[in-house]
Amino acid sequence: MSEVMGLKAKLGLNVFKEDKEFHIRIKPGREKDERLKKAVIVCPSGLYSANDAGDVEISVDGCLECGTCLIACGEEVLEWHYPSGGAGVQFRFG
Amino acid sequence: MEKFDVIIVGGGLAGLSAAYTLAQEGLETLVLERGDYSGAKNVTGGRMYVNPIRDLFPDLWKKAPFERFIAREEVSIMAEERSVTMQYDGNELAQEPYQSFSLLRGKFDKWFAREAERKGAMLVSKARVDDVIMEDGKVVGVRADGDELRADVVIACDGVLSFIAEKAGLRKPLASKNYAVGCKEIIEMDRQLLEDRFNLQGDEGMARLYMGDVTGGSFGGGFLYTNKESLSLGIVVGIDALLENEEAFKAPELLDRFKQRPEIASLIKGGQTAEYSAHVIPEGGVKAMGSLYGSGILVAGDAAGFSMNIGVTVRGMEYAMASGYYAAQAVMAAKARNDFSGASLAEYKKLLDKSFVMEDFNNFKESLDVLDHSRFFTFYPELAGSIMRDLYAVPAGAKDRIFPTIKKHMTVGEIFGIARDMWRLRKI
Amino acid sequence: MDIVVAMKQVPDLQQLRIRNREPVMADVPLTFGKIDKNALEAAVLLKEEHGGEVVVVAAGSEELEDTIKEAMAAGGDRSIMLADDKAGDLDSAESAEILAQLIKQVDDCGLIIFGEGSGDNYSGQVGSRVAEKLDLPQVGSVTQIIIDGEKLRLTRSLEDSVEIVEVMMPAVVIVTADLNEPRIPSVSQVLKAGRKPKEIISLDELEQPAAEKTLTTLSNLAPEVNRKRITIKSVEELVEILKTEGFVGGN
Ligand SMILES: Cc1cc2nc3c(=O)[nH]c(=O)nc-3n(C[C@H](O)[C@H](O)[C@H](O)COP(=O)(O)OP(=O)(O)OC[C@H]3O[C@@H](n4cnc5c(N)ncnc54)[C@H](O)[C@@H]3O)c2cc1C
Ligand code: SF4
Repeated sequence: MSEVMGLKAKLGLNVFKEDKEFHIRIKPGREKDERLKKAVIVCPSGLYSANDAGDVEISVDGCLECGTCLIACGEEVLEWHYPSGGAGVQFRFG
Repeated sequence: MEKFDVIIVGGGLAGLSAAYTLAQEGLETLVLERGDYSGAKNVTGGRMYVNPIRDLFPDLWKKAPFERFIAREEVSIMAEERSVTMQYDGNELAQEPYQSFSLLRGKFDKWFAREAERKGAMLVSKARVDDVIMEDGKVVGVRADGDELRADVVIACDGVLSFIAEKAGLRKPLASKNYAVGCKEIIEMDRQLLEDRFNLQGDEGMARLYMGDVTGGSFGGGFLYTNKESLSLGIVVGIDALLENEEAFKAPELLDRFKQRPEIASLIKGGQTAEYSAHVIPEGGVKAMGSLYGSGILVAGDAAGFSMNIGVTVRGMEYAMASGYYAAQAVMAAKARNDFSGASLAEYKKLLDKSFVMEDFNNFKESLDVLDHSRFFTFYPELAGSIMRDLYAVPAGAKDRIFPTIKKHMTVGEIFGIARDMWRLRKI
Repeated sequence: MDIVVAMKQVPDLQQLRIRNREPVMADVPLTFGKIDKNALEAAVLLKEEHGGEVVVVAAGSEELEDTIKEAMAAGGDRSIMLADDKAGDLDSAESAEILAQLIKQVDDCGLIIFGEGSGDNYSGQVGSRVAEKLDLPQVGSVTQIIIDGEKLRLTRSLEDSVEIVEVMMPAVVIVTADLNEPRIPSVSQVLKAGRKPKEIISLDELEQPAAEKTLTTLSNLAPEVNRKRITIKSVEELVEILKTEGFVGGN
């Protein structure tokens, strides 16, 4: 079996350019919404996690802008838009 | 204020195809791309079929920076602990004009953008479009970073989430059942090692598709394409399938599990991951599509839902390029009439209906429903694997005869089940 | 009075990756260095206040013709450049010679702004060399520029003091990164950029040949990372380790 490369290390290979603001946010008051739990499963970058209090949190660094969380959870719980022009992930290979 | 004939939102394959075609005919065309460059935000598996679109862009192919032409097709059916692989070599695959090529969007789109510029299109990257400007129910331009830019027609080529089509009221709400997610790694490998390992000469390449236990028994598959000095390896799985999966694998875990399968691990050994990407894929087909046109606006590529996932293979790039091309044709016809109303731009739909694009989508209308049937992803792979195991097993005692071996795996009920599945398959 | 900004085309460092300890240069987009963008912004702000034109001068490979649009979008008014594939990899002496010749073409040049060092090799010499060749006064480490009639009032941030100097124009001013935040051009500015006047010359068209290369880069390797791989379980432990490693405390 080959060694598994950690997700953080994998994301570290990509180019990410800084943005002035967060481009994805959990809508205030929705942290406990059941729908957010889906994001924990579907996010290819593993950026969502549930804390001990049952609130789902996102740390948006390493976002691949794939859109999976938005589609899985819906616009009612997530504020989701693309990063500003020239910011965010920049694929070299794609 | 700047006014253009056409503003294209998104410099991916759909957008660039439209721009290339329009600029060639002398229309003032502006492409706005939010990435650092075209290709910076685009993810694909990695194979483009050129045949259906060859004649739409006759001058394009000669210098196109493809990776390898696909000279060998393979498909692996994976059960939990075994797999069956079929290989197809055909003379037609190895003869020019080649049918399909592996490619990397970072290179291809960047190059294509230059070609469109050469034809006279204006391209501005690092520019995110935030909204469409509507006047009297008609789209008259876009807003980008506080700037207002106007045009006779806006073409939304902004990819699967298409916020632009949504803002113009053309997109249907995003329902998870109509979308899959793909996760992919680029694995760099010494060219010689790669060619030796996959038995390739020169620019020959191979494509291998995986189905079955790749995705924990849910709707989806895996792919492996050879590039010049790298492999594109990834999985595609329906978002609902991922959520419903009993073992609750997280998306990135599925890819890791796939990579760790001994069949895969041995193929990628000695390579080094160089990039990790992911992207949503529309796969709802005709039923999930919104409107393709409105007053002053057209929608093309993934934004319009032109991607298809038929079990083992995702196709979207040809549809993106063709729909971009037909959108350009419709705009030119509208310009000749000087009428950019919805009725005039409806020509786009007619052109698509006559083309391979809508023909394919109509033919495969039922495929998602048929394939969303876990038997295709668990039962058959297990069945094929088990039959092969028993066929090849030479036990300590006497070997079983072949027919009973196969029969052993199929009860009467199962034979009926298979017949039922075949009946469904007829639809695709 | 025009303001000249000298800028250097460099690979986008964020796009650079290391393979087998060597940087992979193929397909890396070109841009201008971060500090050069500060220099340009300083020039544009001065122009907005005092009028005149911002002239960008640069030397580099033929792709420069494209890269220069970035500077035009961010406020440059016109450009004079040497764009020649033989000039893709100039050392400081060569660059200085070429830039000095390009700057001489600007008639009413009051002030020449350089960034403190380029993003790629950061030799930090070109500004001084150019000042010498043009026989102009130069002031370095500048964090603020004020034009006062014929004079410049410049703030220099030194290690533990701030110095304010005055100098007659024309002069060479070398700025640091923290004097401003470069603007992000809008789409319409980018569109106008392509139409701004530009003058392009090749190496053969130079009045004097550029100086011979004096420096040769022998190797350019990423440092070998030697992580200690220490796992810690508590803050106390972390502090303890940082102490033994000599990072904190240490009285
Ligand atoms: C994992 C995976 C595997 C696939 N495999 C294959 C395959 O093997 N073969 C195949 O044919 N297809 C495949 N596809 C599908 C194919 O990649 C897509 O159909 C194709 O990329 C669609 O092209 P497009 O131009 O419509 O959209 P995209 O390539 O997504 O381009 C959209 C562009 O719009 C830009 N944009 C978006 N919003 C804005 C905005 N507001 N302002 C400015 N710019 C914006 C984006 O940055 C992007 O560049 C695969 C897809 C995935 C995800
Ligand atoms: S867009 Fe994709 S990568 Fe980003 S947070 Fe959502 S699921 Fe994760």
